[in-house]
Amino acid sequence: MLEFAVELFSDYTARTILLGAASLGVVSGVVGSYAVLRKQSLVGDVMSHAALPGIVLAFMIVGVKEQLPIFIGAALSAVLAVFVINLVTENSRIKTDSAMGMALSVFFGLGLVLLTYVQRMPEANQAGLDKFLFGQAEALVEKDVLIIGVTGLFALLVVGLFWKEFKLLCFDPDFGGTMGFSMKSLDLLVTAVIVSAIVIGLQTVGVVLMSSMLIAPAVAARQWTGNMGSMVILSALVAAVSGVTGVALSAGFENIPTGPAVIVCVSAIAFFSVLFSPNGFFTLRFKDARSRREIKKDYVLKALHDLGLEHDDPGYAHSERLLALGSEKGFNVRKSLLALQTAGYVESVGEDNWRLTQSGIYEVKKLSPLEKNG
Amino acid sequence: MSGRGENPVAPAIRVTDLTVAYGDKTVLWDIDLEIPRGSMVAVVGPNGAGKTTLIKSIQGLVPRVAGVVSVHGRPYEKQRKEVSYVPQRGSVDWDFPTSVVDTVKMGTYGDLGWIRRPGKKEHEKALGALEKVDMLEFAQRQISQLSGGQQQRVFLARALVQSASVYLLDEPFQGVDATTEKAIVTILKELVAGGKTVLAVHHDLNTVSEYYERIALLNVGLVASGRVDEVFNSENLMKAYGGKTSFFPERKAARRAV
Repeated sequence: MLEFAVELFSDYTARTILLGAASLGVVSGVVGSYAVLRKQSLVGDVMSHAALPGIVLAFMIVGVKEQLPIFIGAALSAVLAVFVINLVTENSRIKTDSAMGMALSVFFGLGLVLLTYVQRMPEANQAGLDKFLFGQAEALVEKDVLIIGVTGLFALLVVGLFWKEFKLLCFDPDFGGTMGFSMKSLDLLVTAVIVSAIVIGLQTVGVVLMSSMLIAPAVAARQWTGNMGSMVILSALVAAVSGVTGVALSAGFENIPTGPAVIVCVSAIAFFSVLFSPNGFFTLRFKDARSRREIKKDYVLKALHDLGLEHDDPGYAHSERLLALGSEKGFNVRKSLLALQTAGYVESVGEDNWRLTQSGIYEVKKLSPLEKNG
Repeated sequence: MSGRGENPVAPAIRVTDLTVAYGDKTVLWDIDLEIPRGSMVAVVGPNGAGKTTLIKSIQGLVPRVAGVVSVHGRPYEKQRKEVSYVPQRGSVDWDFPTSVVDTVKMGTYGDLGWIRRPGKKEHEKALGALEKVDMLEFAQRQISQLSGGQQQRVFLARALVQSASVYLLDEPFQGVDATTEKAIVTILKELVAGGKTVLAVHHDLNTVSEYYERIALLNVGLVASGRVDEVFNSENLMKAYGGKTSFFPERKAARRAV
């Protein structure tokens, strides 16, 4: 494994590819955060799929597999898809989600039709156009990485410059509008930045999976932090690590396309974050169960005490059965009693009878919610 | 008593011929409204009367079919800095990853203009506003952890740092606790006492006479506007709400007199 890594990093071609994947990760991680924060994750999905017809058309017009025309074609058709969505939602009763679903399938379908058509053409150099579907990072050369770098820097620069304006756009666009910021221009700018991230991801990850590259890192990052700045940085980091790992995986094993390998990595991180972050599914369940156990223990302690007071003796012993009376089904009183016994708050006096110890009596006094909060 | 013509100074807000439509539905119809400087005005009307739309269209957030809005005698677009806005609490996502103080700081963005970032001065301003709404101890808290009342205080603080002279509030008392409601009323009354103008969408007819000097009764068109003791009566309420109101200001006033 180590040998493999050393080999990977010492090889010039491999280094180029890894650098490309890492830069792509940083850019899509940063830019994707905005798609997620604006609740427009689906827009990224539509745009990346909608890039396909533009790619093929650009190739058909230019005739060679040249990057720049292909990138421009991809960007244009992605933007066109967003334009169509806005047009449809503003001029009909069709809701945004339906419009997006339709735009995605229409554009992507058209792209596939064109792709099939082009692949039947006699020229030899159309080969590899289908690599834009799932990405092929091993085909990255220095020039590609340069384009990724320059486009990425543009995107990062825009995000850096308009940091506070973008925050307004995401959180409260109406309020931003009243302060004189043109939310329409900012919306266009964010779209432009997302499109540029998609375009540079075409070769590495491909149109089908690029949306995950935008959304999954941001979703993962959001689980760990409540600060927008940290979220954006963490998201970039997650995506870069996934990009590099995915590329390494696909280089190490034959026949694993890069796109899926990268996406598997980033999805794994996102899943882990959703489940195990401080606000994650399992963490919350665990906390819930623990606090429920505590409350039950407190309840039993208090019940023993109150029953005891009826005998003018808080340390009076009572049966487990009596304690269980009136409590909810499934409330395992014995379990709570045993836990309290371990803590030294109650003691068993045979025949399933229990009574409070001195420290138990002391503990009950601290239980009153009012005193607890005070 | 409308103040028209008597006052040489232009009113805080003057709305002329304002009409707004969503699709083929008219939401506001030919509104003429004057809000005198230094007054506290309630915008009251049934659901769908266009109260929120009025607040938004004054600020150009929804396109006007017709109409002109001026603030202190000049077009709103030139007076943005004179107006601060407290939107409905529910209009934003409170799960957004940001802290209380950073949210309040957004109120300073207008003065900063494009690209410039808030610095120490803006931070101090935000903390000052948080102190006014009694939320200083929550400055570093995530906004997702706030109660409804606290959220409203944060929104008010964000408007306060704008140091504007006209305040437009959309339902500032909706879903807030009684303490917060009192606190907000006190702050708003202080603003008015200091010569500022407050225009707030208000739902609770019971508190209109207690909180406001003036009222604008709205139902697509403007039903009535003026001093609360003059136009807040059952006749106008019937006009605004149709038969759907059982609130009679006169009875309440009579009860109070007894």
